[in-house]
Amino acid sequence: MIELTIDGRAFHVPPGVSVMDAARANGIDIPHLCYHPELSTPGGCRLCLVEVEGRADPVPSCQLPCAEGMAVRTQSEQLSAMRREIIDLFVSDHPLDCVICDKAGACLLQKYAYEYGVSETSYDKHIARSLYQDDNPFFVRDHQYCILCGRCVRVCEEVVGASAIEIVGRGFDSHVATPFDGPMIDSSCVFCGSCVQVCPTAALMPRSRLGQGREWDLERVETICGYCGVGCQIEYALRDGRILYAQSTPGAPVNGEFLCSKGRYGWDFATHPDRLARPLIRRDVAYRLGLTDEPWELPDESPLDTGEGVIEERFVPVDWDTALHVAADGLARTVQAHGPDAVMGLSSARCTNEENYLFQKFMRAGIGTNNLDHCARL
Amino acid sequence: MKDGAMTAKTTGGPAGQIGQDERFAAVERVMARFDYQPHGLVEVLRAAQEAYGQLPRDLLVAVADKLDVPLSKVYGVATFYDMFTLDPVGETHALICTDPVCAVKGGGDVLAEACRHAGIDAPGGTSAGGRTSVRAASCLGLCDQAPAALVDGRAQVDLAPGDVPALLRGEASPARLQVRGEPRILTGPIGRLAPTDLAAHRAEGAFEALAKALGQTTPDEVIAQVKESGLTGRGGAGFPTGLKWAFARQAPGEARYVVCNFDESEPGTFKDRALMEGNPFRVLEGLILNAYAIGARTGYIFIRGEYPAATAVIERALGELYAANLLGEDILGSGFDLDLEIRRGAGAYICGEETALFEAIEGHRGHPRAKPPYPTQHGLFGQPTVVNNVETLAVIPSLIEHGGAWFRQWGTEQSVGLKLFCLSGHVKQPGVVEVPLGLTLRELVERFGGGFDGEPQAVLLGGAAGGFVGPDGLDVPLTHEALRPLDVPIGSGAVMVFNRSVDLWQVLESLAHFFVHETCGQCAPCRLGTRQMLSLIDRINLGAGSEGERDRLHRLGQTIRRACACGLGLTAANPVLTYFQHFEPEVGRPG
Ligand SMILES: Cc1cc2nc3c(=O)[nH]c(=O)nc-3n(C[C@H](O)[C@H](O)[C@H](O)COP(=O)(O)O)c2cc1C
Ligand code: SF4
Ligand code: SF4
Ligand code: SF4
Ligand code: FES
Ligand code: FES
Repeated sequence: MIELTIDGRAFHVPPGVSVMDAARANGIDIPHLCYHPELSTPGGCRLCLVEVEGRADPVPSCQLPCAEGMAVRTQSEQLSAMRREIIDLFVSDHPLDCVICDKAGACLLQKYAYEYGVSETSYDKHIARSLYQDDNPFFVRDHQYCILCGRCVRVCEEVVGASAIEIVGRGFDSHVATPFDGPMIDSSCVFCGSCVQVCPTAALMPRSRLGQGREWDLERVETICGYCGVGCQIEYALRDGRILYAQSTPGAPVNGEFLCSKGRYGWDFATHPDRLARPLIRRDVAYRLGLTDEPWELPDESPLDTGEGVIEERFVPVDWDTALHVAADGLARTVQAHGPDAVMGLSSARCTNEENYLFQKFMRAGIGTNNLDHCARL
Repeated sequence: MKDGAMTAKTTGGPAGQIGQDERFAAVERVMARFDYQPHGLVEVLRAAQEAYGQLPRDLLVAVADKLDVPLSKVYGVATFYDMFTLDPVGETHALICTDPVCAVKGGGDVLAEACRHAGIDAPGGTSAGGRTSVRAASCLGLCDQAPAALVDGRAQVDLAPGDVPALLRGEASPARLQVRGEPRILTGPIGRLAPTDLAAHRAEGAFEALAKALGQTTPDEVIAQVKESGLTGRGGAGFPTGLKWAFARQAPGEARYVVCNFDESEPGTFKDRALMEGNPFRVLEGLILNAYAIGARTGYIFIRGEYPAATAVIERALGELYAANLLGEDILGSGFDLDLEIRRGAGAYICGEETALFEAIEGHRGHPRAKPPYPTQHGLFGQPTVVNNVETLAVIPSLIEHGGAWFRQWGTEQSVGLKLFCLSGHVKQPGVVEVPLGLTLRELVERFGGGFDGEPQAVLLGGAAGGFVGPDGLDVPLTHEALRPLDVPIGSGAVMVFNRSVDLWQVLESLAHFFVHETCGQCAPCRLGTRQMLSLIDRINLGAGSEGERDRLHRLGQTIRRACACGLGLTAANPVLTYFQHFEPEVGRPG
């Protein structure tokens, strides 16, 4: 362990940890725009500069490894003045549209402009980029708000492995682009939305939330993604009970900041009219059991046919207890009459690993058959 | 590639939609030379730009595929370097310098006349039918013959608007080497011996130091002599050379590399070009000694993209050295192997910064890396690397021949040895001057520059990254210790003299343009701050500038200087800050 002091407090950290990470782990927030805990730290925003005893010039804490005996100051009059100057420069290239911006309340630049009291730039306003790209169903790219922190480029390369985007051009004229500035769909993008997740400003925004409300208007619900066994944690942002967009939560144990395209964008089924909201029992079975008064005969054509009104005609909604009872009863009778190998179990990739484990245990130990498979094999 | 840094691949993927013609074959040959490794990207794109006069989209797709580099990265590299264009350049492509020295000598008029002559609205355009394209260029390293231009690789100088038709045909005055000084140790043979006549140079003692080192001096003793000499880097940063070599020798690594930094792009600097075009063997001998001292088996010479003439000289010189077993395997029977390779830049001042230079050699955008780790620990391809300036290397053979102490007969305790200065602007005989450190600017100009041309108003020392001194600085000795209180560096050795006819705010504006154009853009204070510096200077030049704006500019300069990652940001505000210090000292002072 290495011992160092940050703002006069002594800390013990393992070797290799940056001053930024050590400070954050101990509740000291050092201003940052380009740093992201899951990504490499090229150190471009320079907001995280700190003073280190014995060094003449300030050092970016996101790139500074903790060292034995190091004494770091994250706050001083000089640092505040410098950070204020840097924010002033950022704002000279960024429209302060906060009153009409969907990201207001969650934008990091706004946060620091507030904290350092920068209401508008003291320089001429030179907005380097003006491109607005609305070329895919999932997110929009509004370059005027881009601060070139590079997080999107790094997440796409380092975490997703897609390398769909890159900082192109040079200097003041740089911007984030797909090859030849073409539409996202022509790039190697897999539409995971990770770039949108890590963008600190309104430059990358979920299309579905545009104009739908601001941070403080949204309700947030945490849940587990229903798509696969990985079990990523998802946070839905809702307004009036409608999902506006999905994002991951940084502390999620399984997935951290990341989600795949299904989890992030495939939630419109939640309120789809075709969605099954209750267990259903086939009408002929329900009639036999006295759960409905209307008889019905299984037709010859495919029972999977799902035309208009077909579900209502062929099925009867019941509560969970009834549904489970009917299923258990049917299984038991079949096993009694024909032996355990007369049934088979097929489990789902949408269930968690734990649920799949229990299911095979049930089939093998409970029913007594090895007739077992899983949809992910198909 | 002879080193083991990368594993070999034998062939790339399919070529995509690009036509399989002679032009593609030229690009393919370069890819093959790099075993289709991604690090060849900048050289591959240079070959493509030369073959096609542009970087066609399908070609970039094919290159990405064959080198197995994401297309987004290829696009990022293709848009980073000035010499790469996605649209076709003209059959005749003219780069006309508009940096400070050319600007005060009428470069702007030449540029305007070239556009008019070619029928182009503004610089950057291409004439109808694609005949001619004209660009404003950053300093071309021909400042002693300003105004200067590069047309299809041909350097032409001393231009006046009337020369434009000849210029565009490549028939205006060709560039020459102008070297003076006393003593002429580093530059001795320039103008006297054919640059690549190896026998003639050996007859005057070239490569005797190498033979001596390989025969009877251990690498540690070579380093000891370099340390003993007190030599410090001539590329601008002034780090002690022997110490740098010792660090790299001690650092653990699978391979070690030496790099000769010949990216010379600092405005007002042209000494490295003189050495390489006129006396390349001395520099190469220094580089070979450097490799021997630190145990490198591979070395690179990174040449500024806009120096095609020097590139040709070095190519010939390397051929001579391989033929004479001064390079390659078992050099002079000593058991020491070394390969030297040329890498050309593609138009980016920032790639002179040593870590950005590594990025360029590795096939990336020229973004400087964070330091530490320093190059001597973790440099090119992640291995211990020594980067030295051309002039630094040119000193080395003499240190081995005469012993390190020999170098201390010149200069002062803290500023040792001989130094090349680049005299340009308002002096009667501009050119490269080799002198001991410690002369004053006035002595330099009067003894070796034919005297001042008009009454000197200011000297910009060290180039765009350097600083201004006023007339009272003319009698300060050119040593680190004497210049420190003036806050100006010797830097690259650029000495740009401006007489009273020059509006220094116009010079500041031109320097601000330079930095806006050349910042890599990685750091926000540099990317945005250089742009706002230009904006404030523009306002002041338009007469709209209040005292408040001068103070604002001063404060901005201090922020950029302290908040940025690399030497470019560190120095971008130097001209402005030293201007205020020496010409308007009341600015930025409280009360
Ligand atoms: C923006 C920038 C441009 C530079 N350009 C050059 C150059 O063209 N040639 C050079 O030798 N050094 C250049 N340097 C300095 C190099 O980073 C490095 O310090 C030098 O090559 C080391 O060699 P030396 O110790 O022999 O001077 C530049 C530095 C910066 C920050
Ligand atoms: S959506 Fe995912 S794959 Fe597409 S650019 Fe963003 S991070 Fe890369
Ligand atoms: S789009 Fe967002 S994440 Fe990407 S560089 Fe711009 S501000 Fe940063
Ligand atoms: S200081 Fe400027 S040139 Fe250097 S890395 Fe930062 S942005 Fe690039
Ligand atoms: S957070 Fe460290 S430089 Fe941006
Ligand atoms: S060549 Fe024009 S300023 Fe150097």
